[in-house]
Amino acid sequence: MSVIAAKELRIIGFLCNWCSYGGADTAGVSRFKQPTDLRIIRVPCSGRVDPLFVVKALLNGADGVLVSGCHPRDCHYSDGNFYARRRLEMLKRLLPFIGIDERRFHYTWISASEGARWQQVITDFTKQIHKLGPLSTKTEVMVES
Amino acid sequence: MAQVGYLPKEKEKAFFETLSKNALVYVPCLEGDTVIFRPFSPERTLCFERSANIPPKTIIFPQSETLFSFDYKKNADDPQKTAIKLETNQEYPDVIIFGARPCDAKGFKIFDRVFMDTDTPDTYYKDRREKTVIVTISCESPSAGCFCTAVGGGPADKEGSDAIITELEKGYFIEPVTEKGKAIIKEPFIEDGSPYQKEAVERQKAANDMLKNPFSTDLTKISPSLFNSDEFWEQVVSKCISCGACTYLCPTCYCFNITDEQAVNKGERIRSWDACMFFHYTLEASGHNPRPTKFQRFKNRVGHKFVYYPEKYNGVIACCGCGRCIRYCPVSVDISEIVGYLRGSGIEPLKGPSKDGANAG
Amino acid sequence: MSLEKLKETVAKVFHEVDVVIGYKQGFDPLHATPCFITMPEQVDQLIWNPLCVQNLTSYLPFLKKKVGIVVKGCDSRTIIQYMQEGLIKRDNIVIVGLPCTGIISVKKVLHEIDNQPVESITFRDGSNVVVKTVKGQKILSLSDVCPDKCSTCQYPTPLIYDHLIGEPIKSDKPPESVYEDIREFEKKPLKERLEYWEKEFDRCIRCYACRNACPMCICQDSCIAETRDPHWMSQKLSITEKFMFHMIHAVHLAGRCVECGECERVCPMGIPVNKLKKKINLEMKELFGYEPGVNLEDKPPMYTFNVEERKIEEHKL
Repeated sequence: MSVIAAKELRIIGFLCNWCSYGGADTAGVSRFKQPTDLRIIRVPCSGRVDPLFVVKALLNGADGVLVSGCHPRDCHYSDGNFYARRRLEMLKRLLPFIGIDERRFHYTWISASEGARWQQVITDFTKQIHKLGPLSTKTEVMVES
Repeated sequence: MAQVGYLPKEKEKAFFETLSKNALVYVPCLEGDTVIFRPFSPERTLCFERSANIPPKTIIFPQSETLFSFDYKKNADDPQKTAIKLETNQEYPDVIIFGARPCDAKGFKIFDRVFMDTDTPDTYYKDRREKTVIVTISCESPSAGCFCTAVGGGPADKEGSDAIITELEKGYFIEPVTEKGKAIIKEPFIEDGSPYQKEAVERQKAANDMLKNPFSTDLTKISPSLFNSDEFWEQVVSKCISCGACTYLCPTCYCFNITDEQAVNKGERIRSWDACMFFHYTLEASGHNPRPTKFQRFKNRVGHKFVYYPEKYNGVIACCGCGRCIRYCPVSVDISEIVGYLRGSGIEPLKGPSKDGANAG
Repeated sequence: MSLEKLKETVAKVFHEVDVVIGYKQGFDPLHATPCFITMPEQVDQLIWNPLCVQNLTSYLPFLKKKVGIVVKGCDSRTIIQYMQEGLIKRDNIVIVGLPCTGIISVKKVLHEIDNQPVESITFRDGSNVVVKTVKGQKILSLSDVCPDKCSTCQYPTPLIYDHLIGEPIKSDKPPESVYEDIREFEKKPLKERLEYWEKEFDRCIRCYACRNACPMCICQDSCIAETRDPHWMSQKLSITEKFMFHMIHAVHLAGRCVECGECERVCPMGIPVNKLKKKINLEMKELFGYEPGVNLEDKPPMYTFNVEERKIEEHKL
């Protein structure tokens, strides 16, 4: 699996547009230092995240996946993150059964004002993934970017 | 020089190891309860007792293969211009398939007419086919659902094989059929097979006698009124669940899809197996589907094998009677029973066979 | 005899519906096959014995008529699950329930008799199977050749029916045994689990028999595994794609799989696909106390939510 910069691993982040993306933005505006392994995909709501997105990412070359949304009860669409919580918890428990370390997938709730907390989460998660190392499965990544 | 060969059972592994030095040798291997063709290696458990779950057609006609790959490259001096680079890889190794069944080998002959005997042969198939030697093993007894004799085959049928083996008590009797087969018996560990010929012929005849034809072998007896009756197909195909197991496991099915898969600038053109039982089989780009129901699709399958292909190719039936479609069908749809109705077996489709289970024809 | 009573009941039910789905003898003594009865003369073809392995309820959502259907205990769970999801109307079906003491696994029987063609098969005393092949006769115990689901069956009697053939049977298997194989599997180290699945899925040929046989998979013609737009899966036959297909199938069945075992039974390559779904079911039970296909009033857990989830704790890094 090739990596872009010499020591970066591939971490995919699904961030909900209203809270978590805003939170990441706040961290950026405040000039907090963060690792650069994360590649962000903005979704309207964490409820949009199909657990299969996470599976597809892990099987196709990602070393870690992070999903973040609004805090439960504060979803911009009222109840999207309630569904997300159930689905993602189910997925987190399924991953070790197929042989993928469940620490490679993390879901959390970060609001738009929690820039410092975003920095903390992303630093800790990247450290965790680096400790686990690249994910090697018998996969073929069809197209290398 | 001996015309026939004999391989003692204790020299089996050594023989395969020697063969593997110059070619990729595929043998039927046991994985759990499944028999599947794999490249020979000493740790694998070989299994010649029954036909493999999936026929060896995937060795010459892979389930998915890249026809070519393409790469759009922007011109550095003039970004408006893109050049396209095409790459294809048709370097295929020499392959020996050991332990196919006569029905599997017959399947390759069905393919050959379509892929090779034309003005525009399919080079992907042709190149692989020409580099493959097919050594079949004759059947000792039929499996449930087998009906090769009803479609012009047999447990020791030579069509499509380069050499045919018969398992004897302490070894294998080898009969070459083509020049490629003659080369096999010149390999080390093969002894002269003439002393064993009589025993081999007896065993082949015993196997042949065990087979019963489920339908009449007279092709012209397909009843057009039944074949074109929607009601008939609805009656016999109600239980089909429209999966794809029968077509994927069939040694004579050859339909395929071609897909371009691209990500940004690079991509591949991939050929993969299609199945006439899938809904998408005849789905057109406009969204129209001439065969939206499973009854029409099943009629197409039976029609192709027993009517359209024989019409085009001098009466050759595109079915080898291996019985896999019957054995592995989730609901036991029986194509030989359906052809029996069409050929006027005298049994009414709904009322079923008589109490003693005998089938006419 | 329960077979006589079954035929009598079906003959009566036949007049209330357009078609009755039951079992009849298949292409050889070892197989039964579904029978769609549209004429009274066909009722006599019905059979009822441990050969009747198929889950006939998978036809229900696609038949737009009044249907009479013969169900075993495990099959009846599918009907309840369909009703929970609004996929069928109760008024359109007449259910003939058959209390079941176990069926055979064709693969296991063939393994015991070295894959010889079967000449005859008889069932004695409800627990013995006598199989005759050209090589002789073998007596097998039903508990040795039944599929795994029968050894841990909790619902031998259909949970919903209009007519019951015979007396209800109570399960004598402990509830903890249902997921014992999952717990055993989880004792293996992580790396071994991945290797196990990669080895099993390597044989997969993506024939979709498991998907089409699954009663809860109703999207079949529009399955995302086959769509080109969005392009979920490549046509390439790498282990990634095969793994992805099985994950799609399992995750879409989260909280819906009634463990009828059809997926594993129909796989022509002998892959234990049922395991993934059982694992998800185990989690559904632990997280939400939900068992698919048992109570009509339940709501499938992935369709709903609670504002406070007692069993889900926030994960810390």
